[in-house]
Amino acid sequence: MRILAVDDDPIILELLGQFVEIIGTHELTTAESALDALDMLDDPDTGSIDCFMLDIQMPGMDGIELARRIRETARHADTPILMLTAMSDKRYIDAAFAAGATDYVTKPFEIAELKDRISVVEGMAEARQQRTKKIFAAKSAADQASQVALFEPISIYDVDNVIEYSSMENYVAQLSRSALFGSTTFAFSIREIETFHAAMSAFEFYSLISDVAEVISDTLQGHQFLMSYAGSGTFVCITESGWRPNMKGLMESVNLELSQTELFDNYGQRIHPRVSAGQAVRLIWKSGNSVMDALAQAHSSAEAASQAHTRAMANYWQVNQTA
Amino acid sequence: MTQAMEELPGIDRIRKRFVAMLSDRQTQIAGHGLAAWDGKTVEEINGNLSGAQAILHQIAGSAGSLGFEELGKAARRCEVQILDHLAGPDADLAICPVELISDLDAFVATCRKEIEAHA
Repeated sequence: MRILAVDDDPIILELLGQFVEIIGTHELTTAESALDALDMLDDPDTGSIDCFMLDIQMPGMDGIELARRIRETARHADTPILMLTAMSDKRYIDAAFAAGATDYVTKPFEIAELKDRISVVEGMAEARQQRTKKIFAAKSAADQASQVALFEPISIYDVDNVIEYSSMENYVAQLSRSALFGSTTFAFSIREIETFHAAMSAFEFYSLISDVAEVISDTLQGHQFLMSYAGSGTFVCITESGWRPNMKGLMESVNLELSQTELFDNYGQRIHPRVSAGQAVRLIWKSGNSVMDALAQAHSSAEAASQAHTRAMANYWQVNQTA
Repeated sequence: MTQAMEELPGIDRIRKRFVAMLSDRQTQIAGHGLAAWDGKTVEEINGNLSGAQAILHQIAGSAGSLGFEELGKAARRCEVQILDHLAGPDADLAICPVELISDLDAFVATCRKEIEAHA
């Protein structure tokens, strides 16, 4: 991989140079400021960059803004961004992931940890690129054979506060090291997602997921949150600042917004997706794996609510037919 | 510092460079601390505290990876104190807390000891 490290501390850049030298499989390019990095990315002679390592606190533009600017370029929409920073406060972690960071390593770092994180983000980037290729290949050919599996947590671009599912897992891992007082996780699941998935091309399905993500994100605006598409039509959210979401009210708001948004399939037929909401699970006094378990609980409760709604509707029609 | 860091081929050179830079950095921190202490306006005080914080941040970020764990932790403590002050209720007053300057002074003394030990 070709890595671009951006840090205003020359000692860190030199350490990273040594680190890359001993692991031997990567090539390091460095910049001492965010603006230098952006200049390098604009320069065709720089060549391709496969991974970024960004410090946060730098004079001028900080690493969070730089991450946002990098993500704005189509070329680096999927490129892993590893924040390598001494900033361990939650507000920096939130801001970095919201800006598009893939993972977060706190300084002082250890070689083994950095090596592990780089190898994880390398694998993630490959998986993301494969999924993206499948979706956009199917756009032109409507090729069902290249359809993305229902359970795959496909990447959603350009929707505020929506991050990659694997980045969400890394975010949760960072959160579990700090106080989670006031944090809550909850999820929404698109009803009858299997039917949509079976009837749609990969690109139509991707568009549906993106549109629903945008509606949920818009509905949650005004609150601090991060959300992620976890696959199978389910979106997992984490919020902070002590907000205890009223899930029924939120679900109704999302569904009202969906009913007012005109969504169409490739044949110009209007589609009517609706969501069910699961339980809001508080993360207070949870750590490590139990935070991931709480996410899983929020996730499965939303899917269960969606299935229960489908069953209730089926029963409703059956009862009516019998009568 | 772990065994793996020790085994980096150029680690001695980087450590020497860190100590050489520490000499300049501690002078800059002392300068900012003094200017904040003598400052008469909020801008003067907070600007100099921010200047010291930025340098402390760099030391905190690399010292631990190079075997200067205690120095790194001390830098981080001073950095957090400054950040807390700048985000606290007195941030818009022309006040430079004596505890903050006293801790910066102790940090500068620690830097000087490290520099002498590696001279």
